[in-house]
Amino acid sequence: MRLFRVELTRFRSRRAIVLLLVAAALLTGLLAASTVWETRPVSAADQARAQAQADAEAQQPYIQREIARCEKNPARYFGVGSGAPDCAENITPKAEWYLYRSVVSLAQERNDSGIAALLIVSALMIIVGTTFAGADWSSGSMSNQLLFEPRRPKVWLAKGAAVLVGTLVASAVILTAFWLTLYLVAESRGIQTGAQVQEQIRWLVGRGVVLAGLGGLGGYALTMLVRHTVGTLAALFAYVVGGEALIAALPMEGAARWSLSNNVFAWVRDGHRYFDESIRCLPGRQCNQEALLTLGGGATYLGVLLAVVALVSVLLFRRRDIP
Amino acid sequence: MSDLVIETTGLRKEFRTRRGRHVVAVHDLDLAVPRGGVHGFLGPNGSGKTTTIRMLLGLARASKGEMRLFGQPVPHLLPSVIDRIGAVVEQPKFVPTFSGRKNLTLLARTIGVPSHTVDAALEQVGLNGRDQERYKGYSLGMKQRLAIAATLLKSPDLLILDEPTNGLDPAGIRDIRDMIRGLGDSGVTVLLSSHILAEVQQVCHSASIIGKGRLLASGDVDDLVGGGSTSTTRVGVADPATAARLLREAGHHVIPDGEALVVEGVEPREINRLLAGHEIFVHELTPVRADLESVFLQLTRDASVGRPAGPAAPVTTEAGVA
Repeated sequence: MRLFRVELTRFRSRRAIVLLLVAAALLTGLLAASTVWETRPVSAADQARAQAQADAEAQQPYIQREIARCEKNPARYFGVGSGAPDCAENITPKAEWYLYRSVVSLAQERNDSGIAALLIVSALMIIVGTTFAGADWSSGSMSNQLLFEPRRPKVWLAKGAAVLVGTLVASAVILTAFWLTLYLVAESRGIQTGAQVQEQIRWLVGRGVVLAGLGGLGGYALTMLVRHTVGTLAALFAYVVGGEALIAALPMEGAARWSLSNNVFAWVRDGHRYFDESIRCLPGRQCNQEALLTLGGGATYLGVLLAVVALVSVLLFRRRDIP
Repeated sequence: MSDLVIETTGLRKEFRTRRGRHVVAVHDLDLAVPRGGVHGFLGPNGSGKTTTIRMLLGLARASKGEMRLFGQPVPHLLPSVIDRIGAVVEQPKFVPTFSGRKNLTLLARTIGVPSHTVDAALEQVGLNGRDQERYKGYSLGMKQRLAIAATLLKSPDLLILDEPTNGLDPAGIRDIRDMIRGLGDSGVTVLLSSHILAEVQQVCHSASIIGKGRLLASGDVDDLVGGGSTSTTRVGVADPATAARLLREAGHHVIPDGEALVVEGVEPREINRLLAGHEIFVHELTPVRADLESVFLQLTRDASVGRPAGPAAPVTTEAGVA
């Protein structure tokens, strides 16, 4: 416990980590602000400006020509039973056409900015875990620390626990703040959010926090293995990009099930439908190239990946010479 | 209970370089450091000193052999004795963006020592006043002082210092040497790895000399140095050429040195008797007192050409007790 507290202090005191946490907060804040701005209520000035634009557009000759053409054969434009008045009604520009504004909807944001915020926070937490371990290796202070606590598995676990707790708490605070902002804005605009949607958002935040925390732990474990921040980021990049390319090239049916991105989305979205080109469709047979990856499937894939990296990391850290 | 604080038997470290070359860094090393006093650990660069220290401290794995610290086998039981050991290995290594104090405080908390110990350690190495500055802004000397301060956090019974005066200014070197001497006198065992022979001669009570990963000699510094003094004599005579011829005919090794001769391997009394017997009278007959440097150079030169270590009686050499 003493060592864990020391590592937690080390975690909190690292400038790079503080900057990354601030960056995560700023980026999600920016995302929330952008959503709030894009869904802001229409003001009288906005309405007047849009009306002026619609009126100006209505005077354009091509609009008048189009209305005239429609009035000669309304059924061709709007179907049987439509009349000439329908032409002017539907073709003449209206003010709302120039008000590109939707209302804030937490149900909608759950699949849009909510997912983006979650992925941004998770990616930054991976870098947090990576830089936490990388700094110990690059400064050489790891060897100094081991002169005070030579039980290496204990050191690995204490540092890992500090990263896990630090990233879990930080991502929980950031994601909660993101959704609380959107919720309060919706409330202030008189838009009610149903209990079911609120429950779904709580579940989404929970999954996001777990992904970010375990992502941080994974970044830490990989860096303890590679012993270099840049090396870890390169390995992650190679796994993500190279892995996707390999899966696309493999002649194996159902290979997309092993794609990292599909599994991450399965976890994030509580199940993920994806298009799998490797599923062969025989001519003349009904065929569905869409596949479903369940939450459990994604969790198993990510869990096994993390467990393997952590196990190899701690075993090698126990055995290898420390520079 | 063993009176040896550090003991290695047949210690060996082998590794492969990135180009696949097989290297034996430490070659069946038997090292024995007695309790108390300052023990020098001498050897040319690449002789295996730091690798030996790193193995003792659990930072590197031994390929073969046994190691004991305070009688406990390491690395197996290193955790049981680590609180009694302070060490600086190679360059000081701390978190560069933390202040000196923050670095020490984190290490102190790791072993559960109170914060006033940090104040005392900083005071002892003369870093108070600069302790709130970032470590990366420290001079090499300040970094070295901070590393020594870190070793003092544990109030160690054994202090292992690898080139501790590197980068220090003359006053700093004197302070650190005084501190090491004081610690040695107070009962702390200090293993001082250094390439500065004068430092070892000034500070250490005993020393071990290694070359190419092998122990070449070990014993009290006075014995190591004294072993060489009995066999070399500076001889001043009116006719050095005749004297040299007579001494060579008697089977002695003679080296002309200006107007004088340096004679190796024979007692001054014998030289005087031999020359006086031929009516040659000496006006200078000075035993040349070898310093540690000459002993060290001779031993490491012998090791590099594969000859057995030279006589340095009564010290323990690679072959046993000389």
